[in-house]
Amino acid sequence: MRAFKKAWVRQSLALLLLVALWEACSRAGLIDPFYAPPPSVVAATLYELFAGGSIWEHIAATFSAALLGLVGGLLLGALLGFGAAMAPLLADVLEPVMILLNAIPRVILAPLFIIWFGIDLGSKVALSLVLVAVLVFFSVYGGIREVDVRLVERVRTLGGGRGALLREVYVPSVTAWVMGSLKVAVGFAFTGAVVGEFVASSRGLGYLLSFAQSTYNAAQTLALIFIIMGFVLVLFALAGRLERRLLRWRYA
Amino acid sequence: MEPRPRDLGTRSEILVPYEADPSGAGPGGPVVRVRDLRMRYGDADPVLDGVSLDVAEGQVVSLIGPSGSGKSTVLRAISGLHPPDGGTVDLFVEPREMGFLFQDDALLPWRTARQNVALGLRLRGSARTEAEREADRWLARLGLAGLGPRYPRQLSGGQRKRVALAQVLALRPKLLLMDEPFASLDAIVRHHVTQDLLNWVESERIAVLLVTHDLEEAQALSDVVCLLSRGPRARISNRYAVEIPRPRNLIDARGHPAFAPLLQRIWHDLSDEVDQLGGAI
Ligand SMILES: Nc1ncnc2c1ncn2[C@@H]1O[C@H](COP(=O)(O)OP(=O)(O)OP(=O)(O)O)[C@@H](O)[C@H]1O
Ligand SMILES: [Mg+2]
Repeated sequence: MRAFKKAWVRQSLALLLLVALWEACSRAGLIDPFYAPPPSVVAATLYELFAGGSIWEHIAATFSAALLGLVGGLLLGALLGFGAAMAPLLADVLEPVMILLNAIPRVILAPLFIIWFGIDLGSKVALSLVLVAVLVFFSVYGGIREVDVRLVERVRTLGGGRGALLREVYVPSVTAWVMGSLKVAVGFAFTGAVVGEFVASSRGLGYLLSFAQSTYNAAQTLALIFIIMGFVLVLFALAGRLERRLLRWRYA
Repeated sequence: MEPRPRDLGTRSEILVPYEADPSGAGPGGPVVRVRDLRMRYGDADPVLDGVSLDVAEGQVVSLIGPSGSGKSTVLRAISGLHPPDGGTVDLFVEPREMGFLFQDDALLPWRTARQNVALGLRLRGSARTEAEREADRWLARLGLAGLGPRYPRQLSGGQRKRVALAQVLALRPKLLLMDEPFASLDAIVRHHVTQDLLNWVESERIAVLLVTHDLEEAQALSDVVCLLSRGPRARISNRYAVEIPRPRNLIDARGHPAFAPLLQRIWHDLSDEVDQLGGAI
């Protein structure tokens, strides 16, 4: 706990130092504020964005796309992963598809999803969902196949049937695997939502980003990047807490 | 009670009728009977070929033999974890009346010691609170009072082994299969746990099949010691009756006049068996 605190303090100090250095360089004219506006200007832009109030609508749009994609992707990935691990026939069908989807940069599906689902929420959720589902599929599928056979045998000799095995061995062991990739999944969910908005949309942080970029507004671009970073960090912290709670046997 | 044969593999034709011992002492009716058991993993040579053994109610039978000869495999066949390739395994108790203590002490890492012990009881239909109370009693009996809320990774190897033992004993099995149950315990704990277990087994007249590396332990605990020949195609190459009266005390049993000569005999035979490995040690 103490070490964590120290690391936390160290990291904050390093960040502050970096920001101060950036501000100083910018004021001294060492870097062109057109490309890299000083932190004070970015902060002012952030303030304006929030003071205007219209930013909330965009945050809500990105957030709902990312969260829906995250939850949907977790459910779909887990379902398909369980299915594939239980039914070899399903695995034969799913595995090649998933391997292919895993091999490509999945964001290239964005244009297709926009054609299919329109420029509204649907296409963003779909992209975010696919990104997350493929990741979760492999966690669950792998987690079940690499479950500790000794534990399966223990529960069997104690008199456990399929239901008991699922509850006592498979679900907890898969939970451990999925929790390990939960943070990556949160990142993926936001990637999907923002990239989807970037490609075509009328709302969302990705939309504002593409707008800021088209007007060469570096301060606004940076401000938006910081907003997204802030939200992802908050979700990371939540995911970390969930992980420690669900896996307390590992942290106790 | 008329014993009911439980078939795990191929059916056997003849069942010896159960004859209760009127004195209540000595071995009772058959609990497990293995005949001509053949076991193989995959396409390899059979590990076991022609293993036959019996364990009766109130009888402790131990199985010794070179490492890798197939002792654990015999237990796997009896427990039903691995179907026999040939021969028969007849159980005269319900599968749920059988307890299996494994060679390693793997517990469910996401369940506390108490929950691990309670698991078997709950799978047999006990309510949670009742099962956990019973679990606490067994933990206390094995010298683990107060460790119930700990997760397995917070326990020492010896403590985990005792939790695993509690998990099995809590089911009050009529047939107990144990695979080197005491190997990882330190000498003092080992003595106490073994003596406790012996008392329990004698008073409940549990049938025990014990796999062990420790010849003295095998003799002190059992009525019959079976020597498994080296594999592949291992079989029981010799049986030795241990004529020491029960109830036994581990220390006195070792001092019994029959103990030392038998130990020497078995040790001699076992060494011959291991020697054939061609200096494997
Ligand atoms: N799952 C398995 N697949 C293939 N071979 C196996 C498997 N389990 C055991 N064997 C082989 O079967 C033989 C007997 O193994 P077993 O575990 O029964 O021996 P053991 O007598 O219990 O040995 P030890 O005293 O070292 O525990 C060994 O040669 C081992 O390599
Ligand atoms: Mg073994």
